[in-house]
Amino acid sequence: MNSIERRDFLKATATGVLAFTTVGAQALLSARQAYAQNVPFRLLKASDAETIEALGETLVPGARAAGMAHFLDQQLSVPPEEALLEARILNVRPPYVRFYRNAIAAVDNASRALNSGRNFAQLGPSEQHNFVDAMRQNKVQGWQGPGGSFVYLVLRSDAVDVVYGTMEGYEALGIPYMPHIAPDKRW
Amino acid sequence: MATNEKVDVVVVGAGASGSVYAAVLAKQGKKVVVLEQGPDWQLSDLTSSDIWGRRVKPAGGPFILEGKHPVSYGYQAGWGVGGAALHYFANFPRLLPNDFKIKSEHDRAHDWPISYQDVSPYYDKVASDVGVSGDAKAEEIWRPAGEPYPMPPMKTFRNGQVWIKGFEAVGIRMVPAAVGMNSTEYKGRPACIYDGWCHVGCPIGALANPLVTYLGDARKSGAEVRPWSTVTRVLTNPEGTRVTGVEYYVKKGEPQVQPASVVVLAAWAAQNPRILFNSATDKHPKGLANSSGLVGKYMMTHFASGTLAIFDEDVENHMGTTGAQYMSYDRYGKTSHKEGFGSSFIVAGFALKTNDLGGIANARLDLFGADLHDFMKRAKRGLTRIGTFGEELPTIENRIELVSDKDEFGMPLAKIIHSYDKDAQAVWNANFEEGLRIAKTTGAKDVWSARGNMPTIHLMGGTIMGTEAGNSVVNSYGQTHEIPNLYVAGPGNFPTSGASNPTYTIFALSLRGAEQLAATWSTIAG
Repeated sequence: MNSIERRDFLKATATGVLAFTTVGAQALLSARQAYAQNVPFRLLKASDAETIEALGETLVPGARAAGMAHFLDQQLSVPPEEALLEARILNVRPPYVRFYRNAIAAVDNASRALNSGRNFAQLGPSEQHNFVDAMRQNKVQGWQGPGGSFVYLVLRSDAVDVVYGTMEGYEALGIPYMPHIAPDKRW
Repeated sequence: MATNEKVDVVVVGAGASGSVYAAVLAKQGKKVVVLEQGPDWQLSDLTSSDIWGRRVKPAGGPFILEGKHPVSYGYQAGWGVGGAALHYFANFPRLLPNDFKIKSEHDRAHDWPISYQDVSPYYDKVASDVGVSGDAKAEEIWRPAGEPYPMPPMKTFRNGQVWIKGFEAVGIRMVPAAVGMNSTEYKGRPACIYDGWCHVGCPIGALANPLVTYLGDARKSGAEVRPWSTVTRVLTNPEGTRVTGVEYYVKKGEPQVQPASVVVLAAWAAQNPRILFNSATDKHPKGLANSSGLVGKYMMTHFASGTLAIFDEDVENHMGTTGAQYMSYDRYGKTSHKEGFGSSFIVAGFALKTNDLGGIANARLDLFGADLHDFMKRAKRGLTRIGTFGEELPTIENRIELVSDKDEFGMPLAKIIHSYDKDAQAVWNANFEEGLRIAKTTGAKDVWSARGNMPTIHLMGGTIMGTEAGNSVVNSYGQTHEIPNLYVAGPGNFPTSGASNPTYTIFALSLRGAEQLAATWSTIAG
């Protein structure tokens, strides 16, 4: 991370938003705002992001609009000791992007093999639900990559983070957030 | 390699155990340097968020996790000043007399080289030092009398109270949980406000983390804390009879030497053995303090059996602390369950967050999509849980070993190999069954067991204490049997795990060791 990015990151830490690169400039946005503004990804390929968003939406409704792909993209592009991912406490070895790339490849490879060449994002909602249910139970035929149930756990945690783990998410559920030190931009 | 000015003591690690040594010795006028591999966290860094709270935990760590039940390193460990005690739950149960003599009484595992009576005065001293809330008198149904806690019990909430009927139905007595938190203002630190963010770090100092207790005391007494300082080796004299200091790196700079009269390794149960192994010399070819081959052996964890329930009423599950409201030692006898050997320790009543590892969304890990969202809506006010910790007996196969891969400092990584035995699995199952019996008598609308992979909570062993070098690594003070001016501190010194949360005992044993070191300084430091 260069010095400007680092300064932004530290500022983001204080204010509770994340640093994203928009056209020609750094901007501090929530992941939801980054999704809404169609901010370019730093690290994810468009097809990766499409799969992540489809998985996220299947795991937790609202994860796509909450900016799950942008959240992961930003988190995967900072040094591991600055990343805020659940992967950190689930003992995924850095660099975390390796795990996510392997996970996405496992999902899409298995999906194509089982669904006439279609990636996960191209499946219908019920097909996606059934695929994730099988992945959860390590029952996807021909699966190759990190364990399916572990991929389920990590991606589900990410989706839970962006939908239910923010101040906005607590508010939507009707749970008092009660912070000592608030992430004051609702993140 | 740069060499710093010699100090009296270098403490490796700024967590619970290291901070006690630093405080005691700095107050004695010793020149103390504390080397901590992570950042120098301040209270103002402790943002109330599960997402941001992950910053105070390690990112990866130098450990490869193997075995049938790999150690949950990332969630348990600390990273930075305060160590794991910066984000611990501050449950402060103590070990009981039966933990210290399992071998004598049951011909299992090891006896400790000390008894409960040796540690008990230090539990009382720690309670006074850091502030403990609870009802010591009520605990005397299970343990010898001691000093009262300095503060009354914490408030309780419906998420704890609703379980009492169930415990009574199965004959389990619950008493106010002892916690390292302030039910009232204590020593200038405010009372808890019960917002449930303990597990990501308490920024108001109501919870007794090292920053506001022993490490703060150490700094006030002149101890120097150097963050971003990773120790790779303990150095010895040519004869191998004494340690002379440590080698360490500041971030990714050149290595430095910190000479010291005494070295205290307090880098947690996993890292202490790794450093001892990596400090091997021709005089200590298997690593320091390891002539017996027991460094890195007998790693232990606790397992927990969680039982969940949803009530129709609002149980205020957003209120309280991450620590418990109630606790019981009624299943602490080693043969309490006929199915398996080992103690169990029961707790009830916790604040829940949406996305904590043990939070609302993970209460039903099988659910996703619309089913998960429906569950979240039902659980947000009615969900509550209890938990029963279980004791794992030490087995020599659960161990730490160096591997050939190295970290950025050229230090070999280590693997932690851990699998539970049949006793542990049987006790785990028995506690689930009892949890369901309790839950079914509470009037809850829906009850279930939080089964999944068998969890590994807390990490102990690896430098166990004992009577001599043939059966252990350190004596009861943490002094290594083989090198008198090398100490090891922390849960690694536990020869058995008990079933109660370890940090209160870590503080107590560290205080006992530090006071002994101070009292015999001239003999030990030379």
